[in-house]
Amino acid sequence: MKARYLLSGTAAAIALAAFATGANAASKWDGGDELPTSALECGTGAAAAAAPMKYDGGQPTNPPALAGKEITVVDVPKLIGIGYFNATSKGIQDAAKELGNVKAKTDGPTEAKIDEQIKFIDNYITSGVNGILFAANDPVAIAPVLKKALSKGIHVVGYDANSTPDAREWFVNQSPFNGIAKAMVDAMAKETGEDAGFAIVTSTFTTPNQARWIAEMQAYAAKCHPKLKWLETVEAQEDNNLSFNQATTLINKHGDKLKGIFGMTSVATPASAEAVTKAGQCGKIAVVGLATPNAMKPYVHSECVKSVVLWNPIDLGYAAGYVLRAAVDGKLKPGDTSVEAGKLGKLNVINGSEILLGAPFIYDKGNIDKFDF
Amino acid sequence: MSALSVTAAAPRASLLRRLASQEALLALAVIGLAIAVGFVNPRFLAYRNLADILLGNAYIAIAAIGMSMVIISGNIDISVGALIGVLATVSGSLAVAGAPILVCWLVPLVLGVVIMAAQGAVVAYLRIPAIVVTLGMMSILKGGLISVTGGKWITDLPQGFHLADLSLFGAPMPVVIMVAATALAALWMRWSPSGRAIYATGGNAEAARLCGVNPQRTVVMVFAIHGLFAGIATLVYATQLRVIQSTTPPGLELTVITASVVGGVSILGGVGTVVGSTLAAILIAEITSALVFIDVSPYWTDAVRGALILATVVADIQRRRRRAERGVRV
Amino acid sequence: MSALAERNARRAPKWLTRHETLLALILIVALIGLGEFNSRFLTVENLLNQGRLMTEIGLIALPMTFIIITGGIDLSVGAIVGLSAVMLGYSWKNFGFPLPLAIVFALAVGGLAGFVNGFVITRVKVPPLIMTIATLALYRGLAEGISQARSVRGYPEWFYVLGQGEVFGVPTQLLILIVLIVIAGVALDRTTFGRSLYAIGSNETAARYSALDVDRTKLVIYTLSGLASGLAAIVLVSRVTTTRMDMGMGYELDAIAAVVLGGTSIFGGAGTIWGTVIGLVMIQLLKNGLALTGVKGDATIVVIGVALILSVLIASSLQRRRE
Repeated sequence: MKARYLLSGTAAAIALAAFATGANAASKWDGGDELPTSALECGTGAAAAAAPMKYDGGQPTNPPALAGKEITVVDVPKLIGIGYFNATSKGIQDAAKELGNVKAKTDGPTEAKIDEQIKFIDNYITSGVNGILFAANDPVAIAPVLKKALSKGIHVVGYDANSTPDAREWFVNQSPFNGIAKAMVDAMAKETGEDAGFAIVTSTFTTPNQARWIAEMQAYAAKCHPKLKWLETVEAQEDNNLSFNQATTLINKHGDKLKGIFGMTSVATPASAEAVTKAGQCGKIAVVGLATPNAMKPYVHSECVKSVVLWNPIDLGYAAGYVLRAAVDGKLKPGDTSVEAGKLGKLNVINGSEILLGAPFIYDKGNIDKFDF
Repeated sequence: MSALSVTAAAPRASLLRRLASQEALLALAVIGLAIAVGFVNPRFLAYRNLADILLGNAYIAIAAIGMSMVIISGNIDISVGALIGVLATVSGSLAVAGAPILVCWLVPLVLGVVIMAAQGAVVAYLRIPAIVVTLGMMSILKGGLISVTGGKWITDLPQGFHLADLSLFGAPMPVVIMVAATALAALWMRWSPSGRAIYATGGNAEAARLCGVNPQRTVVMVFAIHGLFAGIATLVYATQLRVIQSTTPPGLELTVITASVVGGVSILGGVGTVVGSTLAAILIAEITSALVFIDVSPYWTDAVRGALILATVVADIQRRRRRAERGVRV
Repeated sequence: MSALAERNARRAPKWLTRHETLLALILIVALIGLGEFNSRFLTVENLLNQGRLMTEIGLIALPMTFIIITGGIDLSVGAIVGLSAVMLGYSWKNFGFPLPLAIVFALAVGGLAGFVNGFVITRVKVPPLIMTIATLALYRGLAEGISQARSVRGYPEWFYVLGQGEVFGVPTQLLILIVLIVIAGVALDRTTFGRSLYAIGSNETAARYSALDVDRTKLVIYTLSGLASGLAAIVLVSRVTTTRMDMGMGYELDAIAAVVLGGTSIFGGAGTIWGTVIGLVMIQLLKNGLALTGVKGDATIVVIGVALILSVLIASSLQRRRE
């Protein structure tokens, strides 16, 4: 009796493990999505301008005429309580203060859960805001509630993580996926040399931005750094200690074969750097990743990490604030090719209904102390 | 009830029966898994890797000690993850503000005891089920933490703050603390009257009362001790990395409860030991690492880990049932 | 005990001392208070919309009430939501099932997942908390492995009627929830099945000796829990138009909070569906009302936590005093 249950249970577990091990022989890097990729040209050549696209965003239904009047805006990021979205929130507040006629507040779920975020937006629609800024946990899941907002005459602008285009008016794009991918892979190849193995620590495979970056990184590496060898990708949630443990496991498993680790989130990157430091592998294993400067300062100063890739999230929030105001004021209409965004100057419209913030920014020893977030 | 009889019978138990105990089973699983994975990938058995598994997960094992006591007393605590997040933030903020390091290390212990004892008092004297109290407290701590800190990460921690980086007689501090805490808790629970009172309260509160144990006071004491262990776990957790996230670690309460129940602590209260929960925490951490080493697709790791946890639990229940049946015959 | 009950009956009508009645009074006071602060709160449109948003948790909370009354618990419900949602999308896209068949299939997967819980709990005698904490990890893991973390989108328009549409001006899923609330309430209150749940929760050994088929009853309620989670998954997918393996994460605690707030004893033997419904409505409307009053999400969580403890405290101490 006992033997039967124990045996079948363990057998099921082992069968599952064996099956899962077999399934690993895929041609794709783990963690990438299935959407088409568009790798940039190798080297430092300027990116070719994309073909102009027709405006594909949505429009609010009969929005009240609020040009120049005070508006209340709510910002609903993926989650609150992480350094990155604190920075975007600060940018939005900066823009609101400069503009003088925007009352903005940030509110959202404490965990990046799609249905929690939807409930927050729904509540703010009922409470009657004039504008919604969002960073989507899921581009499709958030679409119905955003469309509901548009249908009530509320202006909707996204930043950081997009929704389906017709569910919002504009999306402020921090930097195209292929641009980030190129910056990351180029930085890695520069540090490890072309003929090196690397691994990836990401949050979860379901996070759309991370999945997109990984897919674009694979496409770009195949095109421009074909000898770089991807070893594996591991998930670590948005959890500091789990990220550290996973990075440590990678280091112990691969030994000399591992020359670099990509951190795909602002949590994974400092934790990976700590793992490399603790393992005494600084200089032997490169860490390249997306991260916020404050968490990375110790590693950049100890020269364990050479370069950190990120746009400036304060600027991202700031731009989103300006874009929303411009949309309300009628200064940014479908078909426009640029928008004025305060101290950032003129920002260009790309892909029909996206506003481009700029190229990714590389923080290094020389400039990292100038930033505090 | 069964716990009392087990304790009484312990000295007479044969070696074989002791070997078949939950702790031995888990220890065997820990060693067996290491050897099996070592066959597939010998690097798994490197000292460095085995030490890293212990180092990185010691805080879970330490928190599981207190959780086991709470569960043995017939209660449960959902708030422990949030509490550890709060204590870590308090400790880190003090350190950054320039408080003496010893204060930074002591405050989480004291605060942990106070918060948990308060919860224990509500459970024991106001007779509100622990799941309600701690579920509510989880919300309060989680939301309160973000309200106060705005989620700002704590960086620039002073060098001396990192307790987890120290070592004692060549052994890393987190492992030393884990082993010491487990040993002390196990001895205390087995041999001291107040430790035994926990089993009595969880087994049958009414019977315990008749035997001169005050169940209410015992529950408050258990929660207070649980708070102390949560504080100790916080020290290891917060001082390991250079950043404190000042949010609650996602799903930590579930990880801790899982370690406790896999460790043989019956959720119905009254049975189990803390040695088992520490071994279970190690086993779960080992499984997580092993799945990377044997190249299980990362999409499937959670499923395989779940299946292995389930198999362990089912095997344990089977064993206990068989022993109980034999007990009836004797 | 019976003498005590008689004394009670003379002092105050029994229904007045019930936990649910007291909780309902607290709820009404809180609603009126919040309504005073914000004119957009107590509107039919807002209340119906809140009904739409709470349906998934509500569906799960019904069988959860049954389970907790028997002294059990089911922590795997959120993971079953994820697994069922994934199987809905996967079978539709990869097996080429027509969508109605895929819906039935997803429900069946949910039911099977619950059945496995119940089977091991009754046959191998694994305590429910331990079993469902293990399957929580297992089912979520299966959802990730099977879906390879991919989403399935682009369902036909008719499917969205379930999660986004209205029937007679009421959200479709809310109607389903109301029907199921009535069925569950009657089943618990008026049938031998319901009485056997209380019997098992008060004293399982006694229930066995009085020839109740305890194991079969338990098997049924855990399977129902899985089925309800599967249904919640379908409603959720229809509402948000996509499937993801992380759907339903944390639902177990939301559902349990509603049940215990509603006065069901976590030790088994006592509780009602009406109490659960009041608990559910209370949490949802409190969150909504606070948000509309301008309280931010993090502070709202704190208030919910305080409210959970205080309302159980007030209700149970009032009850005790009258007794």
